[in-house]
Amino acid sequence: MAATPAVAVNRLSKYFPHIELRRLLSGRPFSGRWALREVDLELRPGENLCILGPNGSGKTTLLKLVATLLIPTWGRIFVQGHDAVRRPLAVKRHLGFITCNEESFYGRLTGWQNLAFFAQLQDLNPESAIPPVARLLQLGPYLDQRFFSYSTGIKRRLDIARGLLHRPDILLLDEPTTNLDPISALEVRDFLVQLRDQGTTLIMVTHRLEEVARLGGRLAIMQDGVFQEVRPAPEESLEDLYRRLVAGGTRGAA
Amino acid sequence: MALRKVWAFFIRDFLEEMSYPLTFTMRWGGILFKLVTFFFLGKLVGDAVLPQLAPYGNGYFPFVMLGLALAGFQGVALTAISSSVLYGMYTGTLEAMLVTRTSLSTIIFASSLFQFSSALLEILLYLGFSFFCFGVSLGQANLPATAVLLVLALLSHLPIGILSAGFILIFKRGDPVTLILGHVSALLGGVYFPVQVLPPWVQAVSQLLPFTHALEGLRQAVLNGRGLGELSHQVAILSAFAAVLLPLSLALFAWTVRQAKRLGTLSQY
Repeated sequence: MAATPAVAVNRLSKYFPHIELRRLLSGRPFSGRWALREVDLELRPGENLCILGPNGSGKTTLLKLVATLLIPTWGRIFVQGHDAVRRPLAVKRHLGFITCNEESFYGRLTGWQNLAFFAQLQDLNPESAIPPVARLLQLGPYLDQRFFSYSTGIKRRLDIARGLLHRPDILLLDEPTTNLDPISALEVRDFLVQLRDQGTTLIMVTHRLEEVARLGGRLAIMQDGVFQEVRPAPEESLEDLYRRLVAGGTRGAA
Repeated sequence: MALRKVWAFFIRDFLEEMSYPLTFTMRWGGILFKLVTFFFLGKLVGDAVLPQLAPYGNGYFPFVMLGLALAGFQGVALTAISSSVLYGMYTGTLEAMLVTRTSLSTIIFASSLFQFSSALLEILLYLGFSFFCFGVSLGQANLPATAVLLVLALLSHLPIGILSAGFILIFKRGDPVTLILGHVSALLGGVYFPVQVLPPWVQAVSQLLPFTHALEGLRQAVLNGRGLGELSHQVAILSAFAAVLLPLSLALFAWTVRQAKRLGTLSQY
């Protein structure tokens, strides 16, 4: 019997309607845009997927749908066999979502106080949940300092630590190295490789081709809400592949 | 487990509040300053100059002091939930909380717990300052009736705060309900003067506000020592407001959450 997929997405579509009073009054109430169109995807436990694509192509929408932050217009999402729409709390048990919004903490609280708060929201005891992730991300020296005093790199590490508190088996990451200096970005990438090697399923949205190369696994290229291509490993160079699929071979060509 | 989560929210907000030590001082100072102003205004008005103040016994200052205290409490009941939603959307913490194993309803209601506790403390400060600094007699106050009326005041105003939070989830800002109700309650509910001085038709409108009944009951319990039996009219009206509006507001709130997830506005600001 085949193992339950870590994440399975079936004909997933998302339409964002725009509600404007002016349009309602003019008798043309319906407008909006399709962010995702009939996306299918299946990831086995321990597999990882990097999603590349231009801004507005639907990558973050896909992550938010899997993370239960959005309800699909149609289609189904299963995480470890649980329906994400019907059983969101069961799904969240398996998921860590690194929002990569480094301001999504309480600035006046220390790193420890922030993590303790989010640990309790995950039904965890902070005393036992925080030390392992703090060690892993080398956050020890910073935990007693207030969040607002952190550098962007430390904030991002705290963000990742928050997503790992409940030891999820699936990690969703939305551009985890954006705004980081090269050394901090390198550290985050090394850390993601560690997680991959430990068997965590990773779904990562990125704009950085070197990140895809470092993490390996499957690559999906998304444009206009659909996967242009999902492949195990590129046979051509990543730059050529991206240019061919997204820019029709002309973008950036000399 | 749910209680531990609620406690976590309380501690979070307490720590944030304590990180601004001047906030406490300024709040206490603000209350005292307001009371001093109305104390001397009360001296100007004189005791029981208006026959409409006679039912409240002790003159203008205790009358207006309770009005100010309950108006502050009502303000928190109307805005606490929507302000915590707005803050969470603005900072991105709402999204971070929503991906944890905590339901949105727990997040929303637990986020406002500290504000309710602070508002209750403010009422105690109003009473304490009035007793210790301005010689207001509180010995006759009926404490059980006062406590019940405060709970009912909260429960009858909370639905409007919940509706306001639902409005914020979809439209982000510009919630007109709480703004209008807050001003109307202060004007018609009897904060600064007895409702009886208003024209009869305005008095009729004021009876539609839960605030009018909560304040009347609170004054009777604190200033005249009336018990729950004597305040059954106010208790019944406030209970009816709560019984009708609470389930309605919760159902509407659940609907707005679903809509926000459909529209993608849950984490936008």
